[in-house]
Amino acid sequence: MRTTLLLLFFITAFFLVSNAQTPNDGIMMPERNWCNMLQYSHSSWDEYWEGPNKRSNANIGTITTQSVMLMTNYGISDRLNILAGVPYIRTASDVSYLDGQSGVQDLSVWMKYQAYGHTFKSGSMFKAFATGGVSIPVSNYVPDFLPFSIGLQSKTASLRGILHFSLKNGLYATAQGGHTWRSNMKTDREAYLFHNDLIYSNEVVVPNMVDASGRLGFLNKKFQAELWYDYFTGLSGDDIRYNDMPFPCNKMQAASAGVFAKYYFGHLAISASANQVLSGRNVGLGTTFTGAVFYFFELSKKAASDK
Amino acid sequence: MQHTLRNLLLLALLLGFNQCDKTPANAVLEPYDETSLENNGGAWKTYVLANGSELSVAAPEAAGSATYSAELADLKNKMAAATGEQKDAARFWGSNAVLRWHEIARELAAEYNAAPKSNPDGTYSAPDANNPTAYPRFPFANPPYAARALALLAVAQYDALVTTWNYKFQYNRLAPYKNDASIQPLIPANDLPSYPSEDAVIAYASSEVLKFLFPGEKEFLSGRAEEHTESRLWAGANVQSDLDAGEALGKLVAERIIAYAKADKMGMANNQPGVAQLRADATARGITTQWTSLDLPARPPMLPFFFNVKTWNFDQATMIANRPAPPPAVGSAEFETAINELRDMSKNRTREQFRIASFWADGTGTYTPPGHWNRKAAELIYDKQLNELRSARVMALVNTAMHDAGVACWDTKYFYLYPRPTEMDRTIETSTGIPNFPAYTSGHSTFSGAGAEVLSYLFPDKSAELQNMAKEASESRIYGCIHYRFDSEVGLTSGKQVGQYAVQRAQTDGGE
Repeated sequence: MRTTLLLLFFITAFFLVSNAQTPNDGIMMPERNWCNMLQYSHSSWDEYWEGPNKRSNANIGTITTQSVMLMTNYGISDRLNILAGVPYIRTASDVSYLDGQSGVQDLSVWMKYQAYGHTFKSGSMFKAFATGGVSIPVSNYVPDFLPFSIGLQSKTASLRGILHFSLKNGLYATAQGGHTWRSNMKTDREAYLFHNDLIYSNEVVVPNMVDASGRLGFLNKKFQAELWYDYFTGLSGDDIRYNDMPFPCNKMQAASAGVFAKYYFGHLAISASANQVLSGRNVGLGTTFTGAVFYFFELSKKAASDK
Repeated sequence: MQHTLRNLLLLALLLGFNQCDKTPANAVLEPYDETSLENNGGAWKTYVLANGSELSVAAPEAAGSATYSAELADLKNKMAAATGEQKDAARFWGSNAVLRWHEIARELAAEYNAAPKSNPDGTYSAPDANNPTAYPRFPFANPPYAARALALLAVAQYDALVTTWNYKFQYNRLAPYKNDASIQPLIPANDLPSYPSEDAVIAYASSEVLKFLFPGEKEFLSGRAEEHTESRLWAGANVQSDLDAGEALGKLVAERIIAYAKADKMGMANNQPGVAQLRADATARGITTQWTSLDLPARPPMLPFFFNVKTWNFDQATMIANRPAPPPAVGSAEFETAINELRDMSKNRTREQFRIASFWADGTGTYTPPGHWNRKAAELIYDKQLNELRSARVMALVNTAMHDAGVACWDTKYFYLYPRPTEMDRTIETSTGIPNFPAYTSGHSTFSGAGAEVLSYLFPDKSAELQNMAKEASESRIYGCIHYRFDSEVGLTSGKQVGQYAVQRAQTDGGE
């Protein structure tokens, strides 16, 4: 299994972009193979988009989000994997007196199913996958304290489709798209502005999201490298109010690009990746670096069909 | 394997996943029967007007006259032609118009509660009442501004309704549905005389005062007033001449309230050049460690001369005589105890303390602490199903008390210029923004003490709950680490004292 990159903006409840053997790539664990990953991620920004306008803010300076994540992936069969992950997240600003937050965020579980596979005479392969996932908050973190909150206390469910084409020489291309439904969250206040209407409730709509990404890469038994481009957008929501803090009902959008590399040593592997937000709305202009170690178990001697 | 995705979705449902992509709708207030007519309401003590008969309202046409009969016929046509939306509007405004206009005011306060962004050269521009739509928009509805605005609105409604009641019972024109049994009103019928229409009075007293306070919203407010007034025809509750007389009276009262507001010294409350003198005066009194702005770039203090603004329930000499004693000297043992509590809180704040701090934060983009208590007052009024006049009395008593609390608190703040905890120790991290004015005493505590004191008197069965709320609001500022315990405790006591002046008024205003 390879890394999942957690892209850290104002929110972190959303698993995005990634590299291989994750809910949104084209690679599976073989039957009875089990992979565990420990990942560290460092993301920071000092500029952000307030609605469509990019700005900085001397009062919050640079926001840094660090996370340590445990993730596991088990091959129920060659065509069905179950994955789970949970991150610990810490946020801080270099200048603000506001209290940085930390804690265990949301537990995610996915099922990934290979619905179609075809091998051409040339040795090229085409596969199609579907992934379904859910996530639930697993600690009592503060959700309405953006940009310091580590998550939004929203339960999510997602469905995605993945198309994967690989050549015999190891080059591959992946395209995927997904839809994430997010439950309403509860804020600590009992009224808030939404589109400049005063809502007399502590219940806030967290916008549902769609995302899509394209990846080009190379994979063999020792090495993997990948470039990707990713886009996501909230399907509803308003903009951050002028010169105000973000709020969970804001509509967030971002396009980003990243690179990833991974190297295998027998049952061990290490990976590194970098990701840069290119454009956005109501998100930080974030730069993220990630490093991870992996350990693979083979619970039976069945030959790996894919790795 | 085909079942996998389905099972996954079932799992999602089991986990309680709720795909509810709808912002909660605000509760619909239902019109209710206004049981008490308050026949003597026209004699209640007014605030700005000399009394309920100072302004005159011409006598209406008699019920049997041809003019009135024509009005009834017109009313029946309008009722018959009313669309579903118009009938909804009739019920919306019929549910307690005093509260509806306070709701509008709270929404505007929240929307205009935005601190201006700094200019590229590190300065800040002040909102300009003469150019309200240019950035930064006028007003910046910070807590003192909101407190004053809600008090002016409440006083306008109250003085206007006392006058209305005076003429209602002087002229005793029955409601249209009492004069013509074929009229079935959309809202509960009552025996209150209908001339002048209390709804038209509320609509125009409220909207005109709010236009003065939020001059960028004139069009919106006129639209609301027109709908409110017309809704009385769709409801079958007033004829046109009831409404016309009410509109004229509402506007007259608003003129008087606006004249009062123009002279209350709010215009000088943001006198930034005067701050140097305030600081020099404090230095001369031996106060050397003085508050400075923690905003980057440093922001001019919020309304440093708000303490000069006219109060409702006592005079300035009384306010100064009641000014809280000095806070503990910076560096004293008492100071160290207080700041150590915050050092500990900053490191070990519990989720519940964070929740309380956020619940009462009422910062940028909210209706502010006076708005929070204004809302609480509205809920109590609605629960008790008070009529419009009595609702207006509650709102006037509690909102004038909170205005007074703001003025008195600002006096204390700018007299002692006490630094915020984080200024004294940068390691103290807060769970809410640090307000841009001195610490001692806590504004939230003072507003809450005043609000709770007045409401406890008016709703004695809720007294324990209200006092607990005020205490929680006061302590929330310690949990947030933006106030020392003595800021909060002294502020709460001072607020209660301010509230007592409004209670004394309530005991003698004729409304007991």
